[in-house]
Amino acid sequence: MNAIAYLRRYWQLYALLILPVSYFIIFKYGPMYGIIIAFKDFNFFQGINGSEWIGFDAFREVFAMSDFYKTLRNTLMLNGLDLLVSFPAPLILAIMLYELNIVWFKKLSQTILYIPHFISWVIIGGIVYQVFGTQSGMINNIVTSLGFESIPFLTDKSDWLITYLVVGVWQSAGWGTIIYLAALTGINRELFEAAEVDGAGRLRKIWSITLPSLKPTIVTLLIINVGHMIAIGFERPYIIGNTAVRDYSDVLSTFVYRIGIESGQYTLATVVGLFQAVVGLVFVLGANYFSKKLADQSIL
Amino acid sequence: MVKVANVKKKASMLLALTLASTMVLSACGSNNENKGSESTGGEGASGKPVTLKVEVFDRGNSPSGSTITKNYLTSYAQDNFGTPNNINLQYVPIPRSEEIQKLNVLMASGSDVPDIVFTYDSPTFYRYAQQGGLTELGELLDQYGPNLKKFLGEDTLAYGQYEGKQYALPAKRAHLGKYSSFIRQDWLDKLNLPVPQTTDELYNTLKAFKEKDPGQTGGKVIPLGMALASAQYEPLIWSFIQPVTEEQRYTLTQQLGSNDYPTLLPGFKDALQFMNRLYNEGLMSTDFSLDEDKKKLGEDAAKGLVGFFSEDDMNPFYADALYATLQKNIPDAKLSAVDVYTNSEGKHPKPEYAPVGLYLMIPKSSKNAVEAIKYLDWMASGDNLLNMQNGVEGENYTLQDGIPVTKADASDEVKNRIYNWGDMAIISNGKQLGDTEKNVEAYVFGMPEQFREETRKALSVSRSDTIKPVLFDRPIEAQSKYGTSLRDKFHEIIVKTTMVKPDQFDGTFESMMKDYMANGGQAILDERTKAYEAMK
Repeated sequence: MNAIAYLRRYWQLYALLILPVSYFIIFKYGPMYGIIIAFKDFNFFQGINGSEWIGFDAFREVFAMSDFYKTLRNTLMLNGLDLLVSFPAPLILAIMLYELNIVWFKKLSQTILYIPHFISWVIIGGIVYQVFGTQSGMINNIVTSLGFESIPFLTDKSDWLITYLVVGVWQSAGWGTIIYLAALTGINRELFEAAEVDGAGRLRKIWSITLPSLKPTIVTLLIINVGHMIAIGFERPYIIGNTAVRDYSDVLSTFVYRIGIESGQYTLATVVGLFQAVVGLVFVLGANYFSKKLADQSIL
Repeated sequence: MVKVANVKKKASMLLALTLASTMVLSACGSNNENKGSESTGGEGASGKPVTLKVEVFDRGNSPSGSTITKNYLTSYAQDNFGTPNNINLQYVPIPRSEEIQKLNVLMASGSDVPDIVFTYDSPTFYRYAQQGGLTELGELLDQYGPNLKKFLGEDTLAYGQYEGKQYALPAKRAHLGKYSSFIRQDWLDKLNLPVPQTTDELYNTLKAFKEKDPGQTGGKVIPLGMALASAQYEPLIWSFIQPVTEEQRYTLTQQLGSNDYPTLLPGFKDALQFMNRLYNEGLMSTDFSLDEDKKKLGEDAAKGLVGFFSEDDMNPFYADALYATLQKNIPDAKLSAVDVYTNSEGKHPKPEYAPVGLYLMIPKSSKNAVEAIKYLDWMASGDNLLNMQNGVEGENYTLQDGIPVTKADASDEVKNRIYNWGDMAIISNGKQLGDTEKNVEAYVFGMPEQFREETRKALSVSRSDTIKPVLFDRPIEAQSKYGTSLRDKFHEIIVKTTMVKPDQFDGTFESMMKDYMANGGQAILDERTKAYEAMK
C-alpha cells in the first residue's frame, strides 16, 4: 500500500480532523506568537514586529518585584488548600449520591447541587457580601443577636481563607460529581451483590469496590489539578478578595491584570504568563511521572 | 524500512503541511494591520464627503427611539457641522465602564481607531504620547481652532502637553470643587448639639451619636459613614496634612492615577491614627474596606443609620438619590452640608479637581486631524455648546439671569433630547456659562427645588480652602508605571492601619510604608525630586 492508496482510503478521516486542528492552530497556537513581547519593549503603535528586543530584561524586572513572590506564594497556597479541601469534596458527594436509593430524591439533590456552578462569580460575590459581611451580614446578624462578637469573615486574613474555600466548595463540588457519577455507572452491580453475600457492610463496599473503581478517574483529575497549581482563575480571588485581605487574596492572575490591563505594561504581564505556563508544564509532567511510578496510572 | 510505516510517515507529513499552511494564512491576516498610519491634513471640503469618526461613551441609558450613535444630539452635530462642511460624522461607542481597556485595544489595532478618542486617565494619555501614538496638535489648534483655544484657555491646555508639545486637548472643567461633608441636622437638634466646627468637636459629636443613638436605630448607628473611596477618606486625611513648602508640595506628593496622594506628606500618619481611633471605638463603618463603590455607605445613609459623612459635593441631592431616599424612609430627616475637618491652621483643606475633564486626543493614524479640530472648534463657537448642553430654549429650558433653568414640565420626549449631553459636549466637563459662579448656579438649578439651598451650600464648601493638584512640566514616568499598583497599596495602608488594634498601629504603619516605598513609592519620590530640581 503506497501513500496515495492510503490517503485515498482514509482521506475522510483526515478531512474530519481539519476543523478541530485548525481551531487549535488559530486559537491556541496562533496567539503563542504574542509571547515574543515578553522579550521586547512592547510599543502599542509600532506593533510586535516594530518593538525593540530587550532580551531577558523584563524577566529580571519581574523577578525583582516583591509583589511577584507574594502573589506566587498566594497562588500556590490557595491552590494547595483547594486541592486539600475542594478536590475531595465532589468525590465524597458523588459516593453519597451513588448510595442513595430513592430515585426522585437523588435527581432533585443532583440538580440543586449543580445550580451554583451556573451562577456568575460576580453574583456569588454579591451573595457572599450579604451573607458574610461583618456589619450587616446574615450570619453575623445571628451571631451578634446571640450576644457574641461578630466574626470578620471577609476582613481577617485567616477567616477569609475559610470563606474562600467554603465558597469554592459550594460553587464547584456539585458540578464536579458528574465525572465521578459517570465513572460509577460503569461498575458491575454483581460485584456489590457478591460482596453482600459475603457479608460486607456499606462502608466495606465503598472502600473495597466503589473507591478502587474510581481510582483511574481520581488520578486523572488529580494530575490535571496539580497541573493547574500555578494557574489560578481570575474571578474567584478578585471578587471574593478585598483590600483588607490582599496579603492572601492577591494572586498571579490579579497581579497580571493589574500590571497588564490596568497599567498597560504588556511586556511584564506576558513574562508572568509565560512563567506560569512553563512551571505549569513542569507540574503536569511531574505529577504524571509520579503517578506512573507509584500507582501505574498516567494520562500521557 | 517497513513500507507501512513509511506510508504513515508520509501521511503525517501531509497533515503537518496542512497545519503549516493554515498557520501561514492566519499569520498573514494579522500582518496587514500596522500599515497606513501616515497622517496627513485632510482636504475634502468639496467632492467626496469625509467620514469623521468620534468616540462616544456608551452608558447603556439611551431612551427608546434613540441609540447612542443616533439621537437628537448626533443629528444636531451632523446638521449644523457635518453637512455644511461635507463631513459625515460617525460615532464609535465605547462602554463607559471599560473605557481604558477598550481604548487600548482600539489604539493597538491601529486601523479602525476613531479620529477623536478620549480618556479621563492622564497616565493613559501620557503613555500614548510617550509611545508616539498621537498627533501633535499645537499648529493645528492655532490654524483651525481659534475658538477652541480661547475656550479652553492656557491653564487647561497645559495639562495636555507632553514634553512641551500639545498632544491632547483637555476638556475644560466648569466647577473645580470636589467634596463636601454632610451631617444629620435633625440628630444634632434632638441632642441639642451645635454643628461641630473642628475635627475635635466632630469627634465628640460622633461619640454622642453613638451613645445616645438619636436616630433610634437600635444599636445599628454608624456615627461616621466611611467607604474605601476618595470622597470619604480624602477630606479626612488631607485635613491632617501639615502646611508645607512649595518644594515639599512638589516632591512629596504622589500622583497615582488622576489624584494626588499625601502618602509622604507630614501629617499622613496622624490622619491614619485618627481613623484607627474612630474605628476601634466603633465610631466608623465596620465594613468600609469592602465598600469601594460607596454602595453600602449610600444604603446605610439612606436608611438613616449614618450621622456624618463626606461625599462628592452634589451627589446626595439628585432626584431619587441619597437625600430623597432618606426623606422617603424617614420623613423628618434633615441633611446639612457642613465643613468640619480642620487642619492645624484652622482651615478646612480639601483637594480640588485639576481644571480638566476628558483628555481629547487624535491618534497618529488619523487622516482627518484637521476635520477633528474643526469639529471641536465648532462645538466651542457660537451657541453650539449651550444648545448641546441644554437643548432648545423655551422647550427644554428658560433663561433666568443668564442661567438656563430646566423646565420641569417638559415632556419626556423633549427631556430625552439631551440625555447624553455630558458625553457629546466633550470639550467641557459640566455646564459652561462664562464664569464659575454662573456654572455653579446652573448646577443648583439642576436639582429638585427643595434641595437647592443645601446644594448651594455644599458647592461653596467644596470650593473653599482647596488644595490644587501639582502639575509638573514633564510627566513622571514612575507614576504611570507604578500608579495603579501603588493606589492599591495606598488603600491597603488605610485599611490595615485603621483596622489594626491601637497598640499595633505603629508597627503596621512602618511595615506598610516600607512596602509602599519599595514597590515604586521611592522611585516616584526620586523622579519628582529630580524633576523639581530641573524645573527651578
